[in-house]
Amino acid sequence: MKLKIAVLVKQVPDHEAMVQVKSEQELEIEDRYVCSFFDEIAVEAALNIEKNHPDAELFALSAGGKRSIDALRRAIAMGIDQVVHLGDESLEASDSNYTAQVLVARLRILQPDLVICGKQAGDDDYAAVGPMVAELLDIPHISGAVSLDTNPDLNMVNVGCEREGEIWYLESGFPLLISAEKGLAEPHVPVVTRVMKAMKANIQNIPLNELELHGNKPQGRIHRIRYVEPPSRPEVIMMQKPFPENISELVNYLQEKGILS
Amino acid sequence: MADKKIWVIAEIRKGNLTRSTSQLFGAAYKIADQKNLDVVGVLMGGEKSHAESLAQKASLVLWINDPGLETYEATRYFHAIWQLIESKGKPVVILASASSSGLELMPRLAIRCETGYASFCVDIWWEGSELVARRPIYGGRAYEELALIKEPALFTIRSGAFSIPGNLPNSGKVETITLTFSDDLGLKLIERKSTTSSKQELSEAECVVAGGRGLGSPENFKLLEELAQELDAAVGSSRAVVDSGWRSHDEQVGKSGKTISPDLYIAFGISGVIHHILGMNTSKVIVAINKDPEAPIFRNSDYGLVGDALEVIPVLTKELRSRR
Ligand SMILES: Cc1cc2nc3c(=O)[nH]c(=O)nc-3n(C[C@H](O)[C@H](O)[C@H](O)COP(=O)(O)OP(=O)(O)OC[C@H]3O[C@@H](n4cnc5c(N)ncnc54)[C@H](O)[C@@H]3O)c2cc1C
Repeated sequence: MKLKIAVLVKQVPDHEAMVQVKSEQELEIEDRYVCSFFDEIAVEAALNIEKNHPDAELFALSAGGKRSIDALRRAIAMGIDQVVHLGDESLEASDSNYTAQVLVARLRILQPDLVICGKQAGDDDYAAVGPMVAELLDIPHISGAVSLDTNPDLNMVNVGCEREGEIWYLESGFPLLISAEKGLAEPHVPVVTRVMKAMKANIQNIPLNELELHGNKPQGRIHRIRYVEPPSRPEVIMMQKPFPENISELVNYLQEKGILS
Repeated sequence: MADKKIWVIAEIRKGNLTRSTSQLFGAAYKIADQKNLDVVGVLMGGEKSHAESLAQKASLVLWINDPGLETYEATRYFHAIWQLIESKGKPVVILASASSSGLELMPRLAIRCETGYASFCVDIWWEGSELVARRPIYGGRAYEELALIKEPALFTIRSGAFSIPGNLPNSGKVETITLTFSDDLGLKLIERKSTTSSKQELSEAECVVAGGRGLGSPENFKLLEELAQELDAAVGSSRAVVDSGWRSHDEQVGKSGKTISPDLYIAFGISGVIHHILGMNTSKVIVAINKDPEAPIFRNSDYGLVGDALEVIPVLTKELRSRR
């Protein structure tokens, strides 16, 4: 069996980028964007499958504004040649249902055996698009994958996924969607020649009006009312006494606070 | 009984209802009371005793008593809930924990019900006729408040965000439900492996003691485990420690690990760079022990102690023991 694998990627602010609430309607985000952490793991996981099954066919898809192109360039740099950019800036404010609908509109045409996405995106931390895509495609999904053994000859895959305090190993046939947890694969640093190739690549865009979206609207089910500042923590209280008296000093504070009985 | 309902999806782990399940009732009653809604517990699998203990918190428990649901399995749970909706009608709200199963189940359900879903919520309330949820974004560097327009509104609630309500007047009925499943739902559970050494599980624990590279060696985590036992805490760790193979990934706290909100988080020998902070900054009280007074962790803590973790931990354990 020749496996067809689609990887879903997204460009998000770097973890270290400054993000501030400017107003209820606006965030100020430092211009440092990267391919989302878990999405790079998803790309690498697909490349690992290709190593064992060289006839596998790999695609990367990204739905969103112009920035998505950079996530796709990263996928190319890492080793995926066929990439598609879906939609436009209007997707930046869409709910996860709409994003999933846009991706699925294309996935229905590609008909992959395996879809791999990140466990959650590094911006809205929503962890919803993957399972939603699976439901729209009417295929099973496994979230938080940490291991993946494919056996295309047997039409089988064994996926280890992280549960609270446990790893579960599940068996499935194809098609299947999995979302990548840290540990599934170790993203490699792309070689210079691939980076050059990625920079020069002409990236295909499919506009929203060419996708079958069944009347879904960008904020049809959820709309954002406002942004708010995160709660702030008061100034730290440092223990003043020398060791070991500072230990009882600390325990006293915690007892006063009612946090230790 | 009001005809409008809130469903609370219960979870059982290691033979008990989880603490997060009890916290969900905190969220449920907050929004139920304002609109005169009924709070209904939904239990998939489990024992009669679990259903009865849920009934202490809800006016009704829908107990899907099926041996196939004994261990959570995404597709089976999903089919069970969907069948329940078809037979009982749509509730106004469905609440689940932001646990691995809740996060798997709820987005799918949102698509099936053609409705809205908000994940990792830290608060929910009514604004007029709309339900609004607050949730952290950008790893907690900002929060957003979302209105869910359609019914049922689906939420996963972050562990630690709500307190367990006390003195509930309820002693609800248990309605046992049997469903039929097709044998082949796509996925088959082959094996389960435990990955934690501590009794407490990280995302459920009220107290977490975490160690970083400052502990010096994997062996020194024994000290931390002893302290954890004294505090009935779970053990957490930094990524550096996990990447060095000292501890397993499911103990990792941070951006690429778990996001937790215990009542008390104590960090030993953890530098506290943003990636780590993003995983624990919603803890109620944060304590840091680090030998470097300039360590960034102190900027995100309530209490700080400059010192050698290896000296501090055993003394702290002894001190706590002596005060019991
Ligand atoms: C994309 C990305 C994702 C990441 N995700 C995570 C994540 O999820 N979680 C996470 O933790 N990190 C994450 N990191 C890694 C993070 O950047 C740091 O490397 C890591 O948190 C450092 O771990 P540490 O504090 O244990 O070690 P170090 O940085 O080595 O710090 C050790 C600390 O211990 C102190 N110390 C040393 N000896 C002692 C002693 N005897 N007693 C007391 N204190 C002592 C030192 O002063 C120092 O502050 C991520 C990084 C990236 C790039």
